[in-house]
Amino acid sequence: MALLDVTHLTQFFGGLRAVSDFNIQLEHGEIVGLIGPNGAGKTTVFNVLTGVYTPTSGTIVFDGQNIVGRKTHQIAQAGIARTFQTIRLFGKSSVIDNIKIAYHFRMSYSNTDAFLHTRKYWQGEQIVDDYAIDLLRLFHLEGHADDISGSLPYGAQRRLEIARALATKPKLLILDEPAAGMNPAEADELLEMIHWLRDKFDLTILLIEHQMRVVMGVCERIKVMDFGETICEGVPEHIRNDPRVCEAYLGKGA
Amino acid sequence: MTFLRTHRTLATVIAFVLAYVVIKLLSVLPLVDGGPLLNGYYIQLIALVGINIVMTVSLGMVNGFTGQFSIGHAGFMAVGAYTSAMITTVWLHTSTANPWTAYPVFIAAILTGGLLAAAAGYLVGAPSLRLKGDYLAIVTLSANELIRTVIRVTEVLGGPRGLGGIPKLTTLEVVFVFAIVSVVLMRNYLFSSYGRSMKAVRDSEIAAESMAINTTRQKVFVFVFSAFFAGVSGGVFAHLLQFIHPDNFSFVKSLEYLIYLYVGGSTSISGAMVGPAIFTFLPELMRGLQKWRLVPQRHRKEVSA
Repeated sequence: MALLDVTHLTQFFGGLRAVSDFNIQLEHGEIVGLIGPNGAGKTTVFNVLTGVYTPTSGTIVFDGQNIVGRKTHQIAQAGIARTFQTIRLFGKSSVIDNIKIAYHFRMSYSNTDAFLHTRKYWQGEQIVDDYAIDLLRLFHLEGHADDISGSLPYGAQRRLEIARALATKPKLLILDEPAAGMNPAEADELLEMIHWLRDKFDLTILLIEHQMRVVMGVCERIKVMDFGETICEGVPEHIRNDPRVCEAYLGKGA
Repeated sequence: MTFLRTHRTLATVIAFVLAYVVIKLLSVLPLVDGGPLLNGYYIQLIALVGINIVMTVSLGMVNGFTGQFSIGHAGFMAVGAYTSAMITTVWLHTSTANPWTAYPVFIAAILTGGLLAAAAGYLVGAPSLRLKGDYLAIVTLSANELIRTVIRVTEVLGGPRGLGGIPKLTTLEVVFVFAIVSVVLMRNYLFSSYGRSMKAVRDSEIAAESMAINTTRQKVFVFVFSAFFAGVSGGVFAHLLQFIHPDNFSFVKSLEYLIYLYVGGSTSISGAMVGPAIFTFLPELMRGLQKWRLVPQRHRKEVSA
């Protein structure tokens, strides 16, 4: 059974049909790309998947449960984690606190333990400390653990955002333009990292990306959207040669 | 120093105890001619500082660390003040003669005041904190005025005359114990996973929600316990001044707490303690200047000469 099964998803904003009849099935362990010109509805799809918007119609079944109508934090707890198109770190908190925040819903102590700093509190803090440091080490951020996250260099902020998403221990990772603002060398590093993430954390990955070297290099399957409609779907070679895709990006030939 | 940095709770307690010892010594030792440096007037001011510290730190939990904007904190203080005063004064006629019965009643009364204030906080916070944005400011402002107006027209609570005859159960020691316990509890909370979630809500609510944090529940909980501490402060306040009036808890009072908070720095607990310490004393120290406003500018030189 598919990990994520989206059928006939439609999203209206007033009279505007932002996404129309969107279908996607993600199998466990796949890396799938979602591309399309600006305004095609890609980010809207992400926002619907993560519960920011409730879809006008359609069903979303994740890991055997229908998640339509659930709140964002409930969907995150069910195992969908995301990064943002523009970085949204907890900028005034330290790097390690960013990770710990994402681990919050797994913390075992109560509000009372937090007020009184009971034994349970110290045990819980010990666990989250170790967990966060281990995760930072994997992303080569352990040297910055106590720095304010907003002061990190851009590339490190991107890495931290992915690390933070992983701290919720997701099954599905959604990346919204992870290579935005990266130069070709950094984008190549990202390519390797996405493969490594999938194998290391046993993830399924869905990503939006504009840089074709990333999309073509990493995705096993690609879906192309334009004006809310799905216009093409398939392996990278197929997409590259599809006339409808060229038309959407470049316009119709004379 | 490193020891104090790693044992922050202990450091806070030590600072308070030191402050108490110094104040107590200054109020007993005959340093200036004829008596101690700190007379009853100053002791009362210092007690007010303690109460204002708890008010400001609790306001900082909402405004500074969770990034919400509450501007009606005095309303919750009023709920606590009137509830506890009703219990000790009107219903139980507590007297200060026997501390063994007076203090248990007093403690129960201020805690009840705190709980009622927390309930009021829930009624105000639960609907308005579901929304993102500045709705909380408008709602808390109106709640503050609503509470004050209801007290004004309620005859049992003394109405516009105020409520007097409250036993003087708040001593300097009571204020210190109360301030230590409250500040330590709130500090502890801040340095927990829940405290980190508060800051996450402040930094980016959407990201916090995407990182599996129930932001609405976190915001409402912080708001409710902030109102609880304001309510308890109100109870301690009522039993210090022995007379409370609805206008003690007007929007102006709420504004004072905002000033204390932002002067000290809204995202620091020590700042939220320095602000009220300065600004409770400053108006009193400058009281002597008040008469000068009657003197026109051109005459000031002559008068001062």
